[in-house]
Amino acid sequence: MNFLSLLAVEWKKLRRSRILLILGTAAVMLWIPSVLNADLNFGMQAEGISPEHNFLIQGFMGMAWFMFPASMVVGTVLLAQTERTNHGILRMLALPVSTGKLCLAKYMILLGLAAIQILMMTGMYYISAAIASQMQEYEFLLPPLFVFAQAGKLYVSSLPMIAFFWMLSVCIQTPIFSVGIGLASIVPSVLMINTKAWFLYPMDYPFYVITAEYGELASNLSETEIELFPWIVAAVVSTGICLAVSCLCFGKNERK
Amino acid sequence: MNIALEYKKIKRTGIIPGCLAGGLLAVLIPVLELTVRSEQYIGLMQPPLQTIFQADWQMMSMLNMLIVITAACMMYHTEYADNAIQRVTTLPVKEEGVYFLKALLLSGMCAVILAMEMISVSMCTLHWFGGEDGAFTAYYGGPLHEACLELIQDLLWNLGYCFCMLLPVIFLSLLIASACRNMWISLGVDVVCVFMATMIPVKYFALAIFPFAMPFQISEGAGTGQTVRFLAAGLIEVLVIGAAEILFLRVRRSLA
Repeated sequence: MNFLSLLAVEWKKLRRSRILLILGTAAVMLWIPSVLNADLNFGMQAEGISPEHNFLIQGFMGMAWFMFPASMVVGTVLLAQTERTNHGILRMLALPVSTGKLCLAKYMILLGLAAIQILMMTGMYYISAAIASQMQEYEFLLPPLFVFAQAGKLYVSSLPMIAFFWMLSVCIQTPIFSVGIGLASIVPSVLMINTKAWFLYPMDYPFYVITAEYGELASNLSETEIELFPWIVAAVVSTGICLAVSCLCFGKNERK
Repeated sequence: MNIALEYKKIKRTGIIPGCLAGGLLAVLIPVLELTVRSEQYIGLMQPPLQTIFQADWQMMSMLNMLIVITAACMMYHTEYADNAIQRVTTLPVKEEGVYFLKALLLSGMCAVILAMEMISVSMCTLHWFGGEDGAFTAYYGGPLHEACLELIQDLLWNLGYCFCMLLPVIFLSLLIASACRNMWISLGVDVVCVFMATMIPVKYFALAIFPFAMPFQISEGAGTGQTVRFLAAGLIEVLVIGAAEILFLRVRRSLA
């Protein structure tokens, strides 16, 4: 089996999981308060950010801080549990497919879910910004190029985090610990982005990137320059380690 | 059917060590916060408990909630995983009995976690605010043992209040977990709810009594009227959710 058909197989398994419904609900829920409180965006002159930018960034921050990481934890549960119930994984392991490939295919599916969620969120942004523009009689819509650049940054910066969550769900057999550690590791990211060692903590990358963008757009806030040098290295190394460990561990428990 | 049986079911799932570990993490939050930023708080001339709660309770209650939802999902996951629930339904016991016993067990664990957090808060109070001219002496005054007694009273009151605020989350997350066969759906719904709760503006009482927003409430510096209103709302919610669960199980059983 080549990698592409493996991906297709893995994707088919999620057909009846209703995960897209949950991701969609999250995307809708994210923007409802923003639309209702759209008038608050005009009070941000002190920070020197324009209302339309504020509208976008506040929503993205809400996403990057909790909803997006937490959805990814839910996604790992989905991928792990659909196969563990009724021992479907045993059949997969009996096939002449390398376990590493299988593990990477599942990671790719998780990345696909992440992409879908971010696209949903961006789509909902346009709908809600249009509604808010109607309500406030002020143009909230931003050019697509800018919005998609932000969404893309959010996505790329979340890859190490997703790899970490994936490693947790593969290596830790008891779901309570993999889910618990995953969810608990989201909470300290608020503290970590304010420290100098933020690049050592993959879970805060998306939030850090969006917060830095906020500082850049708001002319009166101190700008946080993203230093690429230690960050990229740390991100690549941590992603590599997480993926390698998860590929090694994948299916170990079942093969015993 | 008794609570010992429910305890036996979760004995090897790791829920109890998981909860304790999560509780320890929550215990560390005020300690870390005060170690790093003590100069921000030490000068404040308000009750020391209020200072600590206002600074840290947001994150601590978030952790508490995450512990509760993961534990609730796991408790029902053990039932659904290998169709154990079918055996339960064939026994001469009521299904809602299982639900209430699980709620009782989870509440017990939460009480332990909250007690740990209160001990941590009291230690922080004595360590950082207990000096000669600290807020502890300024606020409690008098001889040391009387002041300590008063502090303990306040802590017990806060423990009870926080516990009551957490009860609706316990009941609702167990209701969601019992309704969904697949763990990721219940976890996803819970996560979306927690996310919604973080977005709710605190000024509206009608929105603040959303069960997942209740644990963010603190009694310190809130006024008696508000405290009583929230306690009443919590009680009503627990009753309503309990009734809804009984109704739901009856309907599901008759339709099955």
